[in-house]
Amino acid sequence: MVVESADVVVIGAGVSGLSSAYFLARAGKDVVVVEKGTVGGEASGRNGGMISERVDEPPIIPLGVESVRLWETLDDELGYPTEFTQQGRLQVAVSEEEMGEIFSDRDKALRHGVSVDLLDSLEIRDMIPGISDRTLGGMFSPNGGHANPQRAVQAFAWAFQDLAGRLYQHTAVTGFKVAGGRVSSVETTAGAIEADVVVAAAGPQTGLLAEMVGVHVPVAPARVEILATVPLEPLFDIALVGNGLYGRQAARGNLLFGGGPHEWTAVGLTTEPSKPNTPLIRNIARRLAELLPGAADAPVLRSWAGIVEQAPDYMPIIDVLESPSNYVVVTASAHGFGISPATGKAVSELVLYGESSIDISGLGLGRFADLGPDWRRSAAGSLSSCRAATAVDRYLAGVLRLKETDMRRRGVVAGAVR
Amino acid sequence: MESRPLVVVGAGVAGTAAAIAAAKAGVPVALIDENPIGESMMGLDVPLFFGRRGTDDIRDRALMLENVAAANDALAEAEEVGVEVRLGTCVWGAFRNTETSRALDGPQLGLSDGERSWMIRFDRLIVAAGARDLGLAFAGWDKAGTMGANGAHSLVSRYEALSSRRMVVLGSGNLGLHTAREALEKGVDVAAIVDVSPSVRGDDALVAELLGRGVELYTSHTVREAGGGGEGIESVVLVEIDDDNEPVVGSEKVIAADTVCLAIGLVPNVELLSLLGCDLTFRSELGGYVPDHDDRMRTSVGSVFAAGDVAGFHDGMALDPEIARGQGRVAGIAAAESLGALGHGEAAARRSDIQAAVAPRPAEAHTGWARWLRSLVKAGGSDIFACRCEEVSCADLVGLKPPRYLGWESEQMSRRSLQTQLRDGPVNPNHVKRLTRAGTGHCQGRLCREQVSLLLAEESGTDIAGIPLMSYRPPVRPLPLSVMWPHEETDQMRGDWPKWFSPTHPVLG
Repeated sequence: MVVESADVVVIGAGVSGLSSAYFLARAGKDVVVVEKGTVGGEASGRNGGMISERVDEPPIIPLGVESVRLWETLDDELGYPTEFTQQGRLQVAVSEEEMGEIFSDRDKALRHGVSVDLLDSLEIRDMIPGISDRTLGGMFSPNGGHANPQRAVQAFAWAFQDLAGRLYQHTAVTGFKVAGGRVSSVETTAGAIEADVVVAAAGPQTGLLAEMVGVHVPVAPARVEILATVPLEPLFDIALVGNGLYGRQAARGNLLFGGGPHEWTAVGLTTEPSKPNTPLIRNIARRLAELLPGAADAPVLRSWAGIVEQAPDYMPIIDVLESPSNYVVVTASAHGFGISPATGKAVSELVLYGESSIDISGLGLGRFADLGPDWRRSAAGSLSSCRAATAVDRYLAGVLRLKETDMRRRGVVAGAVR
Repeated sequence: MESRPLVVVGAGVAGTAAAIAAAKAGVPVALIDENPIGESMMGLDVPLFFGRRGTDDIRDRALMLENVAAANDALAEAEEVGVEVRLGTCVWGAFRNTETSRALDGPQLGLSDGERSWMIRFDRLIVAAGARDLGLAFAGWDKAGTMGANGAHSLVSRYEALSSRRMVVLGSGNLGLHTAREALEKGVDVAAIVDVSPSVRGDDALVAELLGRGVELYTSHTVREAGGGGEGIESVVLVEIDDDNEPVVGSEKVIAADTVCLAIGLVPNVELLSLLGCDLTFRSELGGYVPDHDDRMRTSVGSVFAAGDVAGFHDGMALDPEIARGQGRVAGIAAAESLGALGHGEAAARRSDIQAAVAPRPAEAHTGWARWLRSLVKAGGSDIFACRCEEVSCADLVGLKPPRYLGWESEQMSRRSLQTQLRDGPVNPNHVKRLTRAGTGHCQGRLCREQVSLLLAEESGTDIAGIPLMSYRPPVRPLPLSVMWPHEETDQMRGDWPKWFSPTHPVLG
């Protein structure tokens, strides 16, 4: 087999991997991206396309803030359309419970110096005519927005190629050659590629890859679903969250909304997992019609599903392994799309300078130091060793317990555990 | 949830025969058919290419129900032997547990009567969903009056509600000839039958009959455009083509007609089989991707059978319903046997009189389809919208252009095309769909899938058999949110709905 070489081999042509590859190529690195399937073929091309500063998730607020800034000029920078629009993100509450979350998120925003506005139901009705009468209020993030995932991930891929980056689709990683505490080459179905640095941004397969270099990266794959209506007249141009759904009206006019129960599943290292929908799309349809009664008669044209990976604390992991010491792990716990520009920038800085100008201190693997390889079985007990106990952790302990019970039973987790 | 030992989808020749055979063996059977199609669905050309040529009668649901029931004599027999016949009920989804979906309470279908939707569980399923019309674009094909052979057949025979006075039929195979004869018998004037091939492709006797009834034949011809106004098509411009499919200068003929019927080919309706994960193989002689099945019509998914046009349509079947009927009976008997309602010997006895379909040697179909497409593009230009719903032209597809509404232009984008994309891997119609939006519109891709595949094959130099199936996703009928939603939603689903992966994580970023 022909042996190629590169400064950096990125595993995974999803949005995090391609953004990283783009920023590295822009900095002059010779980069190869290998992808077992196609560009954006998995969750990166299938998500809701939501973009914001992520005030709801403090560990990724720095990435969110930087991403919002980068998205503003991304189309021109890359030279290809992402359909990015920045009319804000609106999280509405149709129940007191949802209103409580909004107050909590507003507090986090204030603590992190991100500007958001609380809106009353009248202001929201002005913003989104035809929204549910049950709307109590909401939180508006003026810098938020949305983009087309498929187009954005392709834009990164093309821009990367325009910088002479090499992109190999249908090329799966089968192993690593490790010598002296460093990966010396990446073995693929198309041959070996010698590399100074490896960036593993392989979504649900990230854990399987890490195992091959003897490191445990705790991520669990889950399947989630979205549906799309026919194109409608322009109703709103903001990223909308509420009634248990997230979504947007695409540039073409289709309403694209997802959410709801997700199913824990398993993936193979080199194969593309099937991504069926289930009758859950009916429940999503109902919630969408409840949230936007004015659109209740819009026909649904299609639905789709994607497989995302989740770390035990539902937060991304961006870190360099201790050994092999030239192996970077990038996995996003389903937050990847919106923060992808900053993720790519942070990863490129890690590779180039050994540290990132964006604060990713909350995203290291060290937070799972005491988590054993059997964390999915013993999750509840080992959680105390994660970051300081918070309400999130309490929920998490419950969710993981339920996950384990349900995986044994039939593999479904139905939601919030109180 | 409703549940039946056997559900048969499609009450055409094959499905009705299947249901009767199974019911005679004592199996409780639900036979489900979406006809009569509602006016709005028909307006979207779903599931057939109706071309907005239904009369006002299609609004009269009671009358349409009566006509649909009367059009199929076998339905009465089915009801006599105890088949539960449900007309006006569409199947929009099919679900079963797989490696990545394990929580379902058994294999099930999503049904709707247009007012509400519900699920039905099955032990065995026979899909007899028929075939749909092959769409091929020509200038003016978006006008009312462009329709397909099955759409026309349905309006003529099933609904008795075809609004057409004078028709031009494209395609001189048996499908086209049969369509022309059926139209003539219903009082529609058939002005011409047109084919790109140098000679007529169908049955000689039928050709002679049609010539005798004054139908003109135009071989080595294609359509340059269909002209007309607000009411739809008023005339069709034909043009002769040479061996390279180039239009012959000065050979145009203008024919007055209000309807152009595409009768060039039919495509098996495999969407439910695809959703269920049945193995599908490309077989050009059977119309494209068709289910793998054994000699009992059982697919690769043991509980699922296929019968009739959905298992593969060839031109010989246009004149011979016995092939589909035989397949239906075989499937019905096999389903009954697999449910334990028939012993092995009894099942064999019951199918002993079914003529093994005279091993037809159907011809490869896609070369002819590709020739039509090439001739239409050469005669009408590459700016014709292959995808009418999303306004994606043949040139847009080949150029991998972002949709017009984005108004995006850049030097980088202008350097990209299908050709540059091919450097990164084999042609992928799903990827092309997402970038150009061809196939994402109201008709759910029914009218452009084959054109997209043919164009991609030609542009990439790939054999058509090497172009993967563009994926099908539920709902395979465009159902309103308010119809699709579950009126019976459980308290658990209601109360336990997660706000993303935990209560404080509402957004997929």
